[in-house]
Amino acid sequence: MNAQRLETSRLFDRFGFGPRPGEYAQALKEGLAETRTKVLTVPTVDAGAATVVEPEITDLGKRPEPNSKEIVPFSIALRFQSQQMGMWWLDRMALSDNGLTEKMTWFWHGHWATSLQKLNYPLPMFKQNKTLRSNCLGNFATMTKAMINDGALQLWLDGQENSVKAPNENLGRELMELFTLGVGRYSEDDVKNISRALTGYQVVRNNGTVTVNQNRRDKNPVTLLGTTTTFTGDSLADFLVARDDSAQFISERLWYRFISSTEDMPASFTAKKAFATRDISAAVAAMANDSAMRDEKFAMVKSPVEWFISACRALELTPSKLKTPAQLINYLDKLGQVPFNPPNVGGWPAGEAWLSSATAQYRIAFATWLIKQSDLRALKEIKPVSRVIKSADWLGVAEWSARTQSALRSSVNDPAQFALLALCSPEYIVSA
Amino acid sequence: MDTVTRRKFLKLTTGAVAVGAAAPLLSIDQIAQAAIDRPLPAGTPILVVVTLYGGNDGLNTVVPYTDPIYYSSRPEISYKADQVLPLDAELALNPAMKGLKSLWDQNKVAIVRGVGYPNPDHSHFSSMAKWQTASPAKHINTGWLGRWVDTQSEDPMLAISLGSVLPPLLAGAKRSGSALPLGGLVIPKGSLATECLQLSKPSKKDSKLMAAAATSMRNLFNVSTNVQPVLKAPAPVSPDLPTTNGGNAGGDSNLAQQLDVVAKLIAAGSPTKVWSVSLGGFDTHANEANAQAELLGVVSDSLSRFMGQLKATTRSNDVTIMVYSEFGRRVVGNGSQGTDHGTAGPMFVIGNAVKGGFYGEQPSLKNLYKNDLAVTTDFRDVYATVIEKVLKSPIEPTLGKWSGRINFL
Repeated sequence: MNAQRLETSRLFDRFGFGPRPGEYAQALKEGLAETRTKVLTVPTVDAGAATVVEPEITDLGKRPEPNSKEIVPFSIALRFQSQQMGMWWLDRMALSDNGLTEKMTWFWHGHWATSLQKLNYPLPMFKQNKTLRSNCLGNFATMTKAMINDGALQLWLDGQENSVKAPNENLGRELMELFTLGVGRYSEDDVKNISRALTGYQVVRNNGTVTVNQNRRDKNPVTLLGTTTTFTGDSLADFLVARDDSAQFISERLWYRFISSTEDMPASFTAKKAFATRDISAAVAAMANDSAMRDEKFAMVKSPVEWFISACRALELTPSKLKTPAQLINYLDKLGQVPFNPPNVGGWPAGEAWLSSATAQYRIAFATWLIKQSDLRALKEIKPVSRVIKSADWLGVAEWSARTQSALRSSVNDPAQFALLALCSPEYIVSA
Repeated sequence: MDTVTRRKFLKLTTGAVAVGAAAPLLSIDQIAQAAIDRPLPAGTPILVVVTLYGGNDGLNTVVPYTDPIYYSSRPEISYKADQVLPLDAELALNPAMKGLKSLWDQNKVAIVRGVGYPNPDHSHFSSMAKWQTASPAKHINTGWLGRWVDTQSEDPMLAISLGSVLPPLLAGAKRSGSALPLGGLVIPKGSLATECLQLSKPSKKDSKLMAAAATSMRNLFNVSTNVQPVLKAPAPVSPDLPTTNGGNAGGDSNLAQQLDVVAKLIAAGSPTKVWSVSLGGFDTHANEANAQAELLGVVSDSLSRFMGQLKATTRSNDVTIMVYSEFGRRVVGNGSQGTDHGTAGPMFVIGNAVKGGFYGEQPSLKNLYKNDLAVTTDFRDVYATVIEKVLKSPIEPTLGKWSGRINFL
């Protein structure tokens, strides 16, 4: 496989949501160094993202009584705002000029996986999304502090139930297991003790406002991972994130989501060292420069959202304008991935989990639906005679196999079927 | 964690599990065809494994309703003595489990108490992995029933899990059980079908994942035609249950749907010795009482309905059901009307051939181990018994040397 094509393709797929028509060919001309810099440089103002209008997500107030007159408009508003929020984010992913911010926000959403389903109010999720976006390439300790004070996360993990009289371990355990240290890097006593240190948080469910009620707080010193002290939320975040296990864990998560979900992270992975100051952007830059990016071994399956957004970019579609948003969510749901609705606190799976016959079937139906709504401009501009080979550049695919070329060749005069086969090909479903 | 379903758990763990042979994905037609061509010989024992994801609260399932410590430990979420369904002078079933109580009264239910493993792990993902791999001390990538599949001659119909993703339980080193998605598949037609088939061909240059993507497409087409649509037929009826109330009317819980499919395929003679079904949502950190009772009601109703459906077949004496969860919950309520992750819990083994009654020691509420129930029975005692008595196989290739057995069969 051509090394430059492979790495260029990965830069687009892994650090963004795939190229728009023309971008891949342009990047090949500019060379790898320049492409890498472009991918990693977040513009002060992203003109593409700026075209996406922020939805009005409001405090819907207390849920009215069942069967009351007020419950109908309340439910309509709740559903409408939740949908608007989902479309807003998908639009940002599809329309951003530089994909890194949305890709990192997406990564962190899967990391601090919180679901709208339990919260049942869009506003706290909207606030969390903004917190994740503003910290997505910042300092991990700062992010962790912000997340301990995030209403959506607290509600999701029963933090508001956790008090000195009745400790609830849900948040404390996951804070160590899934967010900062990784499983097995603490004891059960640590779980009990961290939960005491996290007592007292109170959240207003409808707007996500967090306060600390001192009367519910356990103010006694606790022993956590060998250190005995009285923690605040902030000092707890600093304490956990400063541990070497935290650098190990976050680099493992980055490896798993950006480089390979099937192969183990090698000790030489440069992102860990770059994360020494807990600067996320440094770890991401190291990852983009790491030799693993050039190793053919490290293929990744595109998750359903990644596959869908890449297709929107290639087909020049805007998610919120698809008919209809409800239908769109239905397709994403069938494939098993709807933003703001991760399956559990562990986030979404990766790799072969996305490759079953059932998903193959839904992907064909989804792609057919998308293609019907696109004018296929970029594809039609390629002359049929060169369509098979040049379509790889259109989609940012490093190389079509002979197998796929043969399928595409039989459809060169049928752009809709050609596009369908290309989008459902193994080379497009998997980032080589 | 809000709700933990099998699908969700699998999603998180597939990375660790998908190392064995790629799991074949079956179509209903294929199973139906196999059922017709080579039905399971009459009298062959069949195991149905029911996994409850999220950590089922054992103390509110099999309730120590006369123990004052039960009431003082969890005043907000304990069941009163006059609500529960007494089994003896000390233990009673959750009020929602009337169906199971009736099976108990017919001596068809073994309750194994205090089941777990050494050094309990309180993480959903780790603990479920220990139960499914039957390897509590060391992380391995094969499930105990997957290793059993390895010892059998190759047959994609031998062990089947309902749903589109295979649980680690059925992943072997050489071979795996198969996954059967509920609802079936829709296959492209015409020239699109021809080209999709072309796309699904293996290519020498494929990476492992690209090959898997091609295989997933190929499997979609890998369906035999002109077979009896067994599953389009109505599910067997339960002759001994009224068809009007919730118990036999089905409801739309996914567990009932899964068991419906299993009942139909067992009735049709599918050459399958192991079935795996599941229900999620047992992670009741807050507001537990209603949520758990609802789920236990689904378990109890679905299982008694399933047992009823089997009555209409020739295989009702051949089926053994085993129910487990990754851990029980803490004895003391957490003040959020819920409970945090605990350790030991009861297992149910159900079937006409089962000797009903209690097995294993009930963990003491007084002498806790690190604030949790002590484990009195190792799950491998149960597995070993099932492997020998139901699957009629030696245990060593599956569990290694293990001496513990329980006399429920």
